[in-house]
Amino acid sequence: MTPTPTYTERLATARLLHRFNFGPTPGQYAALLKAGLAATQRTVLEHGLPDPGLDSVVAPNLPDLGPYPPGNTPAATAFYQAMNTGNQELVVWWLDRMVVSHYPLAERMTWFWHGHWATSISKVGYPLPMQRQNNTLRHYALANFRDMARVMVVDGALNYWLDNEENYISSPNENLAREFMELMTLGVNKFTQDDVTAAACALTGYSTVQSNGNVTFDEQQHYDKPLTVLGTRGKLNAESLAWLITSKAQNAKYIADRIWFRFVSGTTTPPSSLEESFKGRDIDQLVSTLVHSSAWSDPANSLVKSPVEWFVGACRALKVRPSSLNTGDLLWGLSQMGQVPFNPPNVGGWPYGQAWLSGAAFQYRFEVSQLIVTAADLSPLNVPTSKMVEASADWLGVPEWSRRTASTLAAATKTPAEFATLALLAPEYAVSA
Amino acid sequence: MINCEFDRRRFLQWTGAGLFATVSAQLSLESLAGAASATPLPTNTPILVIVTLYGGNDGLNTVVPFTDPTYQSARSNIALSSSQVLPFTDSLAFNASMPELSALYAANKVAIVQGVSYPDPNLSHFTSMAIWQSASMTAAVSSGWIGRWLDIQPHSPFNAIGIGSTLPPLLVGDKSVASMVDLGGIQLPWGPAASLIPRLGRSSSSDVALEGAAATSISDLFSTAQLLAPLVTKSPTGSFISEQLSLVSTLINANVPTRVWEVNLSSFDTHVGEQADQNALLAEVDAALGAFMTSISTGDRSNDVTVMVYSEFGRRVMSNAGLGTDHGTAAPVFLIGNTVKGGLYGEQSSLSALDVNGNLEVTTDFRDVYGGLLHDVLGTPVGDVIPSWSTALSVH
Repeated sequence: MTPTPTYTERLATARLLHRFNFGPTPGQYAALLKAGLAATQRTVLEHGLPDPGLDSVVAPNLPDLGPYPPGNTPAATAFYQAMNTGNQELVVWWLDRMVVSHYPLAERMTWFWHGHWATSISKVGYPLPMQRQNNTLRHYALANFRDMARVMVVDGALNYWLDNEENYISSPNENLAREFMELMTLGVNKFTQDDVTAAACALTGYSTVQSNGNVTFDEQQHYDKPLTVLGTRGKLNAESLAWLITSKAQNAKYIADRIWFRFVSGTTTPPSSLEESFKGRDIDQLVSTLVHSSAWSDPANSLVKSPVEWFVGACRALKVRPSSLNTGDLLWGLSQMGQVPFNPPNVGGWPYGQAWLSGAAFQYRFEVSQLIVTAADLSPLNVPTSKMVEASADWLGVPEWSRRTASTLAAATKTPAEFATLALLAPEYAVSA
Repeated sequence: MINCEFDRRRFLQWTGAGLFATVSAQLSLESLAGAASATPLPTNTPILVIVTLYGGNDGLNTVVPFTDPTYQSARSNIALSSSQVLPFTDSLAFNASMPELSALYAANKVAIVQGVSYPDPNLSHFTSMAIWQSASMTAAVSSGWIGRWLDIQPHSPFNAIGIGSTLPPLLVGDKSVASMVDLGGIQLPWGPAASLIPRLGRSSSSDVALEGAAATSISDLFSTAQLLAPLVTKSPTGSFISEQLSLVSTLINANVPTRVWEVNLSSFDTHVGEQADQNALLAEVDAALGAFMTSISTGDRSNDVTVMVYSEFGRRVMSNAGLGTDHGTAAPVFLIGNTVKGGLYGEQSSLSALDVNGNLEVTTDFRDVYGGLLHDVLGTPVGDVIPSWSTALSVH
């Protein structure tokens, strides 16, 4: 007989599932507790395998809608309808992928990179360039960060978002240059204003077609004299600039810190071995090092789930496909909770931690829980009432219900929908302890 | 010159821009409820509520000189007849869409300041609103008049609050900015689980810090709902302006420590089809103000609140062929409150002595209105907020 898992084993297993795989599917948590930590680490790191879940999700076929039409014409009405529909399809498509993937690490990493290269459709407008960026992020999600940076610096949606098509030799626009260094590769105060000015010059000559994200390069508009960036002098274009910046040791530290911050803890600091593992900028290796680290048994490393992480986790456990929900209600709920994919609040990405834990957010978390529970498969609750509380912790991947939550759930064992609502809203499920 | 070479001038421009970047805090209802409990506004502290009407509200069809033959002839296609107005003197009447203000006026709670604008009025929405909101005739001053009042108050995010998500310039100071509160009431959980959900907000000894914070967020929702009960609603029912003013009255009645509130309504730019559009807008504003005054009058702050209603300009005396009016100049400002001395202030601009553009002459400077409010409501000498201005029109 397998010994009963300790609390620490339950904690580490739950953390790995919630943080790298958007939470367990029904039965998965109990099975991995039996199989042991090494099996859990192997499981959450799986990616690149044939995935029948993902195969069942059809990507929206987004046409190039072309330039904005003049206002108040029938063509304009159709245009905005197509744009709006495309935007909605895009969000639901990605949520579906997160929920139904059998190996969700790649989607989880794509979600992380979306917050890292935070680009918002609120300014880009068109869904097509956002989808193309999303596919790029997915392609490089576990690849080499320097390759990713070299492609992202000429990504159409990012260039439009950060005004790079307004970057001329005569009056360089520094937005992309600054944010690329400050938020995406090096961190704040790790470069000088001279570096920003020079990097902006390296980024001159690029223009973006807003409707499709195609980036073109015009040599005539490019500053082609030598520039000094981070102490190195030479002629630079966007790609060689990204290559130069990501060659710096600070880049490895910054990205390793970001990953720690978003996956492990907002209050503790990563061991130096993490940065060490990222010397070659291999994201897969960094994530693997993290998954195999001792961080998961340290009680200090708790995190708040962001609204999308909470929602996707709930949908995975309750077997709800986001596209089966009313799209308007779903997008309204996500927006009220403060997080709609493709629409981060600013270039700094999503908030984290306690920022998500407000009474205002809770009232909408309740609304969304109703949307999910109404469509849910509650069969994991088909156990004797005396076992329901315990079974629900395994079902959702919660290490342990507090006495508060256990007694509240025990009062609802006769009504599974009510029981499920309370479980999804419990503090232990809002947080990855 | 090629600007790709770094130079100091560009750097100073850049850092200078950084210095003036102002970020306004978005306050949650929870934090307001918390402040109302921890540091309630002391009793008898006067409060100013500013209602901005964007687009240029037509003053002549709001406070109507309905017996003036020039009024009827200059805008015969949109003039209001005696059956479309609520007279309060033998020559002036409220637009009939405003029964609430008419009743408040009859109860001496509305001061109508007539002919308000500034010398050489500007007919651009943007410029004129910038003048009104900055209380300055030069574009060099970018701070708002309430913003400058904030600058000389002890710092608190609660001193002045705008409703919505975009900070209007009048609430931006040189050092301080007002906070914002989003519309949207409190939605409590419903359905069969509702009675058990509050139990999830209790703390538990096994909670890690973040679980404790998650539990607190749940109990915060229910305590906020208790303190701000009128905001607990299933779905908003009123107009945009009434939603805003009902939020403000609830927060005032809950003793939130805020001296200045700002709400606003757009679409007063009635170049075409004015009558129907303006009547509908005025009806919304009127109903919202009526409900607001009722709510305030039944609370502890009955004698503390003064409301100012203004727009960036009035409209042309002569109507256009599109059954509307073009940009004008002077217009009435309303000051409303239980301690306001109701009646007419200033002078009604003459309809027969117009300026070269066919617009009304200005009889009252808006800075005098601000001066009175600064002195009587905010307890601040006008010169501290509007440099080199010393006169004030008091309605208290």
